Order: sequence, then structure tokens, then C-alpha cells
Amino acid sequence: MVMKKLLRNPLSMTGLIILLGFILIALFAPYIAPTQESHKSDPYRVPRFGWGTVPAPPSKEHLMGLTQGKYDIFYGIIWGTRTAFKVGLMVTGLSCLIGVVIGSVSAYIGGKFDEIVMRFVDIFMSFPFLIAAIVITAVLGRGLDKVIIALVLFRWTGYARLIRGNVLQVKQDEYIMAARAGGVAHPKILMRHILPNTIFPVLIQASMNIGSIVVTASTLSFLGLGAPEGYADWGQMISFARNWVLGTPNNPLEYWYTVVWPGVAIVLFVLSWNLIGDAFRDIMDPRIQG
Amino acid sequence: MLTYIARRLLFLPIVLIGVTLLVFVAMSFLSPYQLVSSYIKSPEELKNQSLDDLVRKYGLNQPAHLRYISWMKKLLRGDLGYSVSANMRVTEAIAKRFPATIELALFSIIPVVLGGIWLGTISAKHYNRPLDHISRTFAIIGWSLPDFVFGLIMLMIFYGVLGWFPPGRLSMWADTIVLTGDFIRYTGMNTVDSLLNGRLDIFWDAIRHLVAPIITLAYLWWAFLLRITRSSMLEVMNKDYVRTARAKGLTEKIVVNRHVRRNAMIPVATVSGSMVLGLLGGVVIVETVFDYKGIGLLTATGAQQLDYTLILGTTLFYGLLLVATNLVVDVLYAVIDPRVRLE
Repeated sequence: MVMKKLLRNPLSMTGLIILLGFILIALFAPYIAPTQESHKSDPYRVPRFGWGTVPAPPSKEHLMGLTQGKYDIFYGIIWGTRTAFKVGLMVTGLSCLIGVVIGSVSAYIGGKFDEIVMRFVDIFMSFPFLIAAIVITAVLGRGLDKVIIALVLFRWTGYARLIRGNVLQVKQDEYIMAARAGGVAHPKILMRHILPNTIFPVLIQASMNIGSIVVTASTLSFLGLGAPEGYADWGQMISFARNWVLGTPNNPLEYWYTVVWPGVAIVLFVLSWNLIGDAFRDIMDPRIQG
Repeated sequence: MLTYIARRLLFLPIVLIGVTLLVFVAMSFLSPYQLVSSYIKSPEELKNQSLDDLVRKYGLNQPAHLRYISWMKKLLRGDLGYSVSANMRVTEAIAKRFPATIELALFSIIPVVLGGIWLGTISAKHYNRPLDHISRTFAIIGWSLPDFVFGLIMLMIFYGVLGWFPPGRLSMWADTIVLTGDFIRYTGMNTVDSLLNGRLDIFWDAIRHLVAPIITLAYLWWAFLLRITRSSMLEVMNKDYVRTARAKGLTEKIVVNRHVRRNAMIPVATVSGSMVLGLLGGVVIVETVFDYKGIGLLTATGAQQLDYTLILGTTLFYGLLLVATNLVVDVLYAVIDPRVRLE
């Protein structure tokens, strides 16, 4: 039913098509941008063509040109799609798991325990997400895995809060009372009766956040705190472009390709998630269809 | 109202302790040697003593709870350590950079709030008509455009091509005047100081440097506020009291402005807390992109150069700032929506 509505709405349809395109690019990356023989062991390393730092414009061999350090932009974008999915899915999956476990258990137990856990969540949420991520990556060191840890650490709280609210509502329902009276063990009540009735809004919310997670991860790369240099990563490609946005006095747009291509990749990726998410929200919230 | 504020104030120390604990846990991932600079008062100390002596002197090899207590004592004295990358004490660096960020924030918040609510109102009034579609498309594109990409494109077009809005805080000529003794720094905010000194040319120069960062900070939150205002206005428009207002024969303008928008502002006020959080993060990016020397750029360079003292110090400062702004937001919220106070 929901799928049908998504397919009928032109905006969400566009979103789905773009997303499908990115999934295909990620799956077929080795065919779209083949890795050179010498780099086979580490396909995420973007190949360099030539010496020096100055970018080179698009040509037949390098469709989107070479960015600072003569890294191939096309290769970086294609393989960067995989990086984006990897970060987005890992962070969302892990933080959702942690959030659901902590939030539902806290709500189920309730009382003082719940109160303490929620104050703990409040403290985590009182930090700006980006700044918290900066601190953690700076302390843990550079690398994609560290970025993922940092983002998970400050992301689970949102899901914990969401599922807690849902569990608190369901907890009072009669079928739960019935299960309790029937002597069903607590873990089983939580797993079998409560979670199936509360988890879906959380999962939907979580999957719609993948776009914004990828933006934050790219931001860290842009600030020089993400993946190591030369790793296929959109944020890093844009941080390379920083030094070249001004071009030369004769041609201020001389190095446009260094910022435009990776920029387009990020924007389209996030846009696709947001288009689907927006349509979802309208479908799920019949109040505003007045 | 007073009891509500008092209750909020009671909760404050708990949050502050939580924030310091969080930073402290992050610190414990570092070795005592990396932390020494958070404790020393000036680089002179490094010259005269070995690192081991300093580690012992500041108790960095003690168990965690003792370290936390001594660290807290130091914080309460307002001592955040010495920053190697800024080459001064962290408190000093923050004091020096903070006015610039405040200036940026003050100039951004008004256009953000007014613009976002205005766009949302228009969108809701023209529900499912072309104006609604245009502003929604704008919102969704804006929401999908990362601020560092947008900022770089702004820089490319408005500085590179057109030469209108240069990066930095002031042009070279203005900077030299500001640094001379004749120009009195009252607040550290260039726009205010230049007016107080009667230098309209410097005022104009400061504004020119502010435009691009403000737009970059603002567009994302326009998109955000548009969305929230729109959906909450649409919800209120279906309420019985709005129908009553219409039935009474009130003009559409009065219905929208008095009856709908006021009630629709409640969810908007709810998100203003998270907006402040987001703006603080946004400041780091915007200041980095435009080389605007505020506290965000300080944090970013500190992180790039692994200056832990600086990162932890500024983070604590952000924490403090947030607790304060959240308090203000909560109180404002209670003013808008009387039901909150009774909870």
C-alpha cells in the first residue's frame, strides 16, 4: 500500500530512481571504474595520474578531470558511492540496534531505572552532533572506522528516545497485561509482543537518516578528520577542492570540476533519501492531508 | 512561571556535571603525555621539566576519580590549559575569538527565524498550489545541499567571479586600521565597534564579509523551518476554532496571522533548541569555508593539528553555551505555551 503511494508520487519516484542508480553504481563499481592491476589489493585507493598538485581538466582518459594531487575524480566518485553506503548503513544499523535495545529495556523496566537512563540520553543529546563527532575522531585518530564509531556514539540516543516513547504506550495495552498474567517471561514479552508493535516507525526514521549521516561523515572528511588521504570518499574530494575554488585571475572558474562533480554526487545521494523520506512522512501522517 | 524556571535551574548542575564527565571520558582515551599541555600554564614549564615530572606534578598518573576531581577544581578556577596551536591559553583564545562567532550568530538568527517562518506560512496558505510546490522544492533541495558544498560554491561565484563577498572578517586595509591604537575595541564585534568608532567604511567592509557566511548558515535552516511551520500550520488550519473564526467572517489575513500562526508556532519553538545545536555545528563548517576567524575555526584547526587541549576546552565551552541557551529556549517555550508550565 505504502509502496504504491510512493510510486505514484512524482517526487518520491524521482528519489527512488536516483537511489536505485546509486545502488547500481555501488554494485558495479569494479566494472564502471576498473581498478588498475597494481592497485587490485586496495580498490578504494584512488589512482593518481602524474606528479604535482595542480588539478587537470576533464579529458578522454579522465572523464571528470583530476583533482588536487592528480587523483582521478571519476574513480573517486564511483568508489566513493560504496564508501557512502558503507558509512550510512553501518552507522544507522549499529546506532539503531543500540538505541532500540537500551530504549526498549529502559521503558519496559520503567521507574527510577528509566529516569536515570533518560537523563543519560539527555546529556548525550545536549552536545551538537558535529562537534561531538569532531572530538571523538580527533581523540581516536583518523580513519573511516573511527568516523563510524564517533557517529554511532552520538546517534543511538535519538532512536532510544523514539522507541522508548512507543514502548511506554504499548506497555499498558491489554494483550501485554494478558501475556504477563499468563506468566510469559519478560524478555519474551519484550521480544515477541512489544518490539514487533513498536519497532517499525523507528526503522523507517532510521533509514531516512542515512542521507544526513553521509553528510556528517563527509563533513568530517572535509575538515580533514575522516578517511586517510587518497581513500575514495566524497567529502575528501571536496576538501581537496577547497584550495582551488578561486581559480586563476583570468579564469575564476578554471577548476570548477574539482568541486562540482563530488558536490553533485553528495547532493543527489542525500536528495534521493530526502525525497523518499518526505513522501513517507506525508503518507504516514494523514493529518496534514487536509 | 518562577517555579518552572527554578526547577530548570536545579537541573542545570546535573547537566553540567554530565557534560564534564563526557569530556573527561574522551580525555581518558589519551595518554598522560598527550594531556600535559591541558594542565600547564605556559610553555615555559615544558622547558624546565621533563614530561615525566609534569605528569607526576599534575597527578596524571593517578586513578581516574582523583584525576577527575583535580581536573574539575582546575575548571572551576576557569583554567582550560595551554593551546600549542593557538600559542596562548585556551581561555584567552576563546575570549579572543568568541565575539566574532557571536556576531555571525546574531546576524544569522534573525533572517533564519523570520525567513523560515515566512516561507512556511506562504507555503501553508497556498497549500498544493504552485507557490507551495516552489517553496517545498526549495526546502527539499536546500535540506539536501551540505553546507560545505554550498559555501564553496558561494565562494567560487560571489568571490571568485563577481568579487562581491570576500572571505575572512575584514579586508587588509580595514584590518590594519582596526589593529591600531586609535580604533577602540569595545566588543570585539567589527560591525558594532566600527559604528561606535564612527567608521562607516569599516562597518560596510565588515558587512561585506558577513553576507556569504550568513547565507550559508541560513539557507539550511530556512528549509528546516519552512517544513515545520508548514506542516504545523496545516494541522492547525483544520482545527474547529479556525473554522469558527472563519465562520465569524474574519478576514483571511486575521485568521492566518492571529488564529493559525500563533498556535502553529508551538512546534516551531520546540525545535528551536535543536536548531541552536545545529547552528553551533554549522558555525564550525561555515567559519572553516570562509576563513572567518571565530571559535568554530578555532575548533576545526585544533582538531586538524591534534591540539587536544584546544578541542576539549572549546567543547566544554560549547557545552556551557548550550546549557545556557537551552535554558533560555525552555523559558521562552513556557511563555509561548502556558500548558508547559503546569506539567
